[in-house]
Formats: sequence, C-alpha cells, structure tokens
Amino acid sequence: MRWIACELHTHTAHSDGRQSLPELAAGAAALGFECIALTDHNTMSGLAQREEVERETGIRILPGMEWTTFYGHMVTIGARAFVDWREAHPQRITEGAAEVHRHGGVAGLAHPYRIGSPACTGCYWEYEIADWSDLDYIEVWSGTWAPIKTDNLRAYALWTERLNAGTRIAATSGRDWHAQEETDEPLSVTYLGLEDERTPFEDEAVRALRRGRVSVTIGPLLTLEASQGGRTYGIGDVLVRSAEETGEPIEVGVSLQFSAREGRWSLPPQTFSLRLVGDGGILAERAVDAVDGGYRLETPAGGTTWLRAELWGVVRGARALIAFTNAIYYETGEKGARTP
Amino acid sequence: MRMEIMGEAGPDDARTHRRYPFELREPSDGLHIRFAYSPKTLEDREESRLLMERSIALYVAPDQQARALENVDRYYPLKNLITISVDDGRGYRGACHRHDAEQRLFLSEEEASPGLTRGPVEPGRWCVTLSLHAIVTASCSYRLEVWTAEEGENR
Ligand SMILES: [Zn+2]
Ligand SMILES: [Zn+2]
Repeated sequence: MRWIACELHTHTAHSDGRQSLPELAAGAAALGFECIALTDHNTMSGLAQREEVERETGIRILPGMEWTTFYGHMVTIGARAFVDWREAHPQRITEGAAEVHRHGGVAGLAHPYRIGSPACTGCYWEYEIADWSDLDYIEVWSGTWAPIKTDNLRAYALWTERLNAGTRIAATSGRDWHAQEETDEPLSVTYLGLEDERTPFEDEAVRALRRGRVSVTIGPLLTLEASQGGRTYGIGDVLVRSAEETGEPIEVGVSLQFSAREGRWSLPPQTFSLRLVGDGGILAERAVDAVDGGYRLETPAGGTTWLRAELWGVVRGARALIAFTNAIYYETGEKGARTP
Repeated sequence: MRMEIMGEAGPDDARTHRRYPFELREPSDGLHIRFAYSPKTLEDREESRLLMERSIALYVAPDQQARALENVDRYYPLKNLITISVDDGRGYRGACHRHDAEQRLFLSEEEASPGLTRGPVEPGRWCVTLSLHAIVTASCSYRLEVWTAEEGENR
C-alpha cells in the first residue's frame, strides 16, 4: 500500500477561486502534496489544462466538481461525464449521487455543518438521505486548523453516528482552497491508500475513496491494520469473524510516520495519546512519542462493528485530534465465511 | 440571434432556476453573454440582523448560537447571488459560479470565459439558466443579453 498526500477540495478562477490551476498545483507541490482534486463549483472547465499542469508541476489532478446547489454542497470526484447539479431535489439527492457513480465517480458531503444561506448559500447540508450507502464520504474536516472548528466537530460526530448505525462511509478533509494565501494554521492532509499501482492512478485514487482506504491528519501519517486467523485487514476492509471468534480479543497494529511530509508541518514537542475507537467508544489507549514506529494494541473481546485509530495531543494550546484513520469494519458471519 | 431579458426577483424566488432558451439556426463564430443584477448587497442592518437570526437558529448548534450572534457582523453586507450556466443542443457548456454582479462572458471554438467550455457554437436549442441562490433584498432586478458574434454588440 502506498499512501499519497492529497488535497481533495479546491477552486480556481473557473468558479470563485482567486488562483489559476498552475498556481494551485504549484502551491500544492510546495506543501508536499502529491495529488489534488479540482472541484470547482458547478463546472469542469478548469480541467482543460489538467495534463499540461500535471506535467509541469508533477502534481496529479483528479477531475471533480462541487455540486453547489441550494440545499447542500456535494463534492464529486472521478466522474467521467457531467451530471446535472441543477436537477437536485431536496428529497432525492441520492439520485444525483447514483448518476455520479454510473459515470465512475464518488460523491461526498462537503462541509455539512457550515452555516447556510444567506451567509453561505447552500453550504449547510439540508438534503434528506434515505439510504446512506448511496454516498461515499463525509468531508469531516473543512478549512484550515480544522480539528477544533465546531462545524467540523459536528461533522465528525455525524460520521461516528453513521458508523455506529452500520453505514460504511469514509471521512476526508478538504481545505476548500480558493487562493494562494499564507497561513500559519495547521493544514489537513487526506492520505489515500493505493493498493495496486499498475492500475491507472485516477481509478486507484477514486477506488481508495470509495473503499475508505483513507487516513486524515494535520501531522504524522497514521495507519491501522487488524489480524484475524492469519489474515491481515487494512483500513476500509471488512473483517469477518465467526460467533466464537467474537469472544476473542483482536490484535491491532498501528503505525505512525512522523517523517511523512517532513518539514511541511510541526507540532509542539510532547507525548501523544494513541487511541483505538469503536462503537463502544475508546477501546484501547497508550502514550506514544514523536518517532516513526509501529505499536501493537489489543482490543477487548466482544462485538464492535468498526474500529479506527486516533492520535490526540496539544496543538496551539488546545487539546485536539491530530490524526484519524478511516474504519476497519467487523462483521460476524458463518465460521469460515469469506470477506464479501 | 439576439436575446434581451429584463427580470425581477424577490426573496421568495431564492432557490429557483430561471431558464431562458433560444434557438440558433446557423453555426456561429461565438456567443456573447452579458449579465448584470442589482442591488448586490442588503444595506439595511436591521433586516440583515433578522435574516441572520433566522439563519443562525436553523444552522448553528444550539450551544454556539449566542457566540454566532455576537460575531454576526462578519457576514455583512448580506449578498444576492445569481449565477449563470449555459447549455447547447448537446449538453452542458459550463457555469460561472462567482459573486460578480456584472459579467461579460464569451464562448467560441477557440476560447471561453472561465467556467465555460470552449467548443463549436452549433445550431440547435441553447439555454441560459439563472440560478437564484440567494435574494436578500426586497427586490433584485437583472438584465440578461445574449448575442452571436455575427450580430455585433450594437444593433
Ligand atoms: Zn462548498
Ligand atoms: Zn468549495
């Protein structure tokens, strides 16, 4: 698995951004990103420059569009054709998402709790979602210094609530980057896990989002795996256990890479707190230092339906979530059942 | 081809699209669009406050509402927002989602204004759509002009 640093929510002058695609891509490269998604409001015209800018900056550019509708903003990435955002109906947004899927893309809720009209038109998510499996991800961290923003705390809580309800849905960050402006606020990075590097980059990145092979951070790269019956499961995977196995604790491996994007971020020196979280809340916790390394933790026996890792610490004087992985899902099935 | 529309919208028209179709009978070297609306901002602070109180009650978490009200000035002046999108006989030709209350747009085989997709301007049924994202003033008037390169700017 190769983890690539992405910025999945950006704008240029093709909508209301104050930057060109070359400026955006150069800015992303300078910050140590390897990939951006261009998600201009309601247009894909900026992508005409895509290949040229990819060549010049070395940055991979995923095609995207932010559905900037009256009842919510929905980020779409990877769709090979335009899907009409103007048809979005307050009770039927999942039809639009399904159409995006038909064209090979994924769809996520953008900044779902940002204040809506008239302060920010359509920014608050008001769409009814009858079936959450129609959506691929929730952008839980929006903007800079994301972990402490109250809108983002609500979005993170929404994600946890969906996981508890059995929805398998990914969580991402997005700067909603409109201009090349200096900031000293922590920047979020969404790492996508590329499993098969022989398939075209775009397909593999979109698959990572769809499958939830995602880890989000304002600092080190945090990854997670769980082992059961000699098999290892990574972020986004479904681990199937027999009823008897449910009674056994699960061995979990967590890896922290402080050397990821080295020099592009900093955190005050401290001992961090590493947590495993599931539908019962905190399942395990230990202290870790700011060095690259792997840790083995054991989760208690019993039935959690999902598991993620979180790294906590003090940033800018506030206790904050620094990084989180997406979930590994647990399922209780017939003895010997295979991952579906 | 030349089309000229004068329109009016009020707060109840927010969150609606207005479609202005037109027919191109012959291929054209380019399509010009000029769009302007006014006023852009709501200057009445009392009215703004009422709108924001409603918005905060709807969208902000209960324990954050008092703080949001204290800092409500950062949202002022409240703005009208109408955006343009264009379709030709075959499909979408892009959108210009930005706050400018006056936009001059152009579309042709070789070039297009940011947000629009360049490509041939072919005969068929075209449409300019106005998306009324927010109307915060009691009334907002707009003027939309569309003409082909062959027509020239002035009649
Ligand atoms: Zn948005
Ligand atoms: Zn955006």
